[in-house]
Amino acid sequence: MKTYDIIIIGSGPGGYAAALRASKEGKRTAVVEDRQLGGTCLHRGCIPSKTMLQHAEILQQVETAAEWGVQTGDISFSYPQMLRRKEKVVTQLESGIKGLMKNGNIDVIQGRGRVNDKKEVMIETENGAQQLQAASVIAATGTTPLVPPVKGLKETAHFTSDSIFEKKELPASLLIVGGGIVGVEYACLFASLHVDVTIIEMKDEILVEEDADAAAVLRRSLEKLGVTIETKAALEEIQSAENGLVTAAYTDRGGTKLEIAADEVLVTAGRKPNTSALAQTSVQYDNGFVRVNENMETNVPGIYTIGDLASGGWKLAHAASAEGVTAVEHICGLKPSMHTALIPRCIYTFPEIAAVGMTEKQAEASGCHYKTETIPFQGSGKAMAMGESEGFTKIIAEQKHGEILGVVMVGPHVTEMIGEPAAYMHLEGTVEELASMVHPHPTLLENLYEAANAWLGKGIHH
Amino acid sequence: MAKEIFMPKLSSTMETGTILQWMKKEGDPVEMGEPVFEVMSDKINIEVEAYEEGVLLKKYYDVDDVVPVNTIVGYIGEEEEEVPETAPEEPAPEETSQEEEPKEYADTVPATADANGQIRATPAARRVAKENGVLLSDMEGSGPKQRIHQQDVYDYVQAAGEKPKATPLARKRAEEQNLDLNTVEGSGPGSKIYAKDLTGSGQKTTGAEPGRIPVKGIRKIVADRMAESASTVPHVTLYSEVDMTEAIRLRSQLQDKIVEETGYKLSYTEIMMKAVAEALKRHPYLNASLSADQQEILLHKEINVGLAVATEQGLVVPVVPRAGEKGLTALVQASKQLAENARNQRLQPEQMQGGTFTISNLGMYAVDGFTPIINQPEAAILGVGQMKETPAEENGNVVFRPKTTFSLSFDHRIVDGAPAAAFLSDVKQLIEAPYELLM
Repeated sequence: MKTYDIIIIGSGPGGYAAALRASKEGKRTAVVEDRQLGGTCLHRGCIPSKTMLQHAEILQQVETAAEWGVQTGDISFSYPQMLRRKEKVVTQLESGIKGLMKNGNIDVIQGRGRVNDKKEVMIETENGAQQLQAASVIAATGTTPLVPPVKGLKETAHFTSDSIFEKKELPASLLIVGGGIVGVEYACLFASLHVDVTIIEMKDEILVEEDADAAAVLRRSLEKLGVTIETKAALEEIQSAENGLVTAAYTDRGGTKLEIAADEVLVTAGRKPNTSALAQTSVQYDNGFVRVNENMETNVPGIYTIGDLASGGWKLAHAASAEGVTAVEHICGLKPSMHTALIPRCIYTFPEIAAVGMTEKQAEASGCHYKTETIPFQGSGKAMAMGESEGFTKIIAEQKHGEILGVVMVGPHVTEMIGEPAAYMHLEGTVEELASMVHPHPTLLENLYEAANAWLGKGIHH
Repeated sequence: MAKEIFMPKLSSTMETGTILQWMKKEGDPVEMGEPVFEVMSDKINIEVEAYEEGVLLKKYYDVDDVVPVNTIVGYIGEEEEEVPETAPEEPAPEETSQEEEPKEYADTVPATADANGQIRATPAARRVAKENGVLLSDMEGSGPKQRIHQQDVYDYVQAAGEKPKATPLARKRAEEQNLDLNTVEGSGPGSKIYAKDLTGSGQKTTGAEPGRIPVKGIRKIVADRMAESASTVPHVTLYSEVDMTEAIRLRSQLQDKIVEETGYKLSYTEIMMKAVAEALKRHPYLNASLSADQQEILLHKEINVGLAVATEQGLVVPVVPRAGEKGLTALVQASKQLAENARNQRLQPEQMQGGTFTISNLGMYAVDGFTPIINQPEAAILGVGQMKETPAEENGNVVFRPKTTFSLSFDHRIVDGAPAAAFLSDVKQLIEAPYELLM
């Protein structure tokens, strides 16, 4: 039986980062993957959607530019071509990971892996079963889109984020079930591509896990794009209609029973963990996710779980990567180098939303004395020049020392900009240090600087 | 002709004095016998009086300056008289002043104030230290006899400026918690201290602010001397149980007579002192000290026994001189008066000097034995515990005897275990059969 120091099941951003780190530490490492290297993030998540959103954003800009004096004649776009470019980006990144695995002498084994408590890994490959022995196993099998138990939904043809780009032409109308992060991103994408989009969300508001002010800005922007948003709506039944449409019956927040018809349904109502790889182990679970300690180790010594599959933590690609590194460092007996408690969160909508640390709600729940300062982008010269002055920067900071508890940003490029407040928080700079660092003008980040100064009561413009 | 004012040498061990305050400003008239400035030595603080009449023409040092003994600190003379702008650098040779100085300043009164101990440093080093608000006692001198030079102070200030690496938040929290970051282990890159590293370190706040008492005056002296003794002297403590039956009898027989003669009661302390003095005569190595350069053992001719006395201000050790030559009456007289003076803060500096052995009696408390710290540069110290009825064997029967535990700490550099044990055995025997003291 072939033996490895570390076998990693799943090659998403958690798994492949762990593999690369393990190889750098000189560990004999294997990755077991039953689909393609890169996992959900690269093939069915972050990268495809960001590529397509980039296309949509350019289309929006070109449309806006006409009003600014940039004439292009008739604007048209090809959805299939956009999909092909997206494919190209994905393929290129995938071959990049393949190269990294090769350079790191990491064995990539194609097949579905399962592990037992003895850390024997059984793999069903095309050429039959194979068994490997590992000293440590990292399960990084991620999650799969969840299809909620709505009457008729299972029987009706529908898409999830896994499959939405398999359809090669744009629908005229799209019903999105679930107004969370994934739902609003796809709503932005398709609405920008002139699809008639409706979001049905059972909770009070879209993006309920994020800052309420941010959700409100996004809601206005989505509605401006023509998206219909039904929140606190109960979806009763979904069925196929004879004209090839899908109809959905729901009760809106006022209690009125309504029905809408759409060409397609996209279900973005959460994800469920893929636990089959651990079925033969005695690992413990919390609400279906694998229970781990701060080193990402399960109750079975030597078996680790990272990323979406692990309980707690943010279900985000970069969180998974950091957790993967943490697990490998623990296996190698190294000091943990990742500060996994501080994970920035990015939503690639128009405008973008980015946040790090506590939300205002969490700050309130923590019982600490905090103060917030919100500076809108409306006064920002750069944002106005860009024609994107929607949004704001909000600083949530503890009152005594100005410890930055959380920052929420809504606006153009904020997913890039969140790195600055995250760095301050990571290095434990307080509002004072943030306020005393001169920021270049004109930039969008001046907004953060202004918010910090205003928080201290010495804002120049606010 | 203007007359110099010197930093007085108040004791044989005094090398520097700290100026606590000036009673006179430059230009003030000064009468003979008027206090001019107050100084703190390693043992006590006193007001230095003028022995000239005239005007205070010049003062070269400020409050808190540490000045070597026999250094000119100022001038008294006629108005408008010319005196040097800066203090003469080197102190006058010790030999010339040693004999007359104590006489000149004998007329001093103790006061309470701040101290800085005895430190060799150049005036420039002192000035720089003062400018930077750093203590000379915190640094090491690179000069001859560890004298601190200006560069040493600069080096120290620079090193002190290199604060431990810490995040801004960690600094703010540490300041709030009054936590010294030097005591915190950082978990970050290059041991940088993060806020989370503060928890569990040092004195965490419990919400209530601790009471704060500055370590100065006698407290500072006790702190410095005890720390120095405990850290430099290899202490060994021997214990012995002493039967007090005969000492009790002796005391009751002599009590009335001594009260009549001195007005003071005879305490066991004096009986013990008598026994210790007698034993020291037989064991000169216990009545000894190490020379300053640690090259010689000095066997003292006189037996001067110090008595540790607790006062409100802290521990002081007045010395009963020539205890070996005194009878019990004289010992009672001397030790009672010294203890009284100590409690009333009226001890003269010389009354705390010249000790060759110390007795620390905690017998009035529920203490049996302890490990007394040697009063440097002495060779040993005797700790006395409470007297209590203790079962003992007598002709095959168990009887109860009043017994006290003696704890003898000795400096193992000066004396070894066996001779120290022999000394303690003799002390025990002299107290158990005190009539030997009459021999």
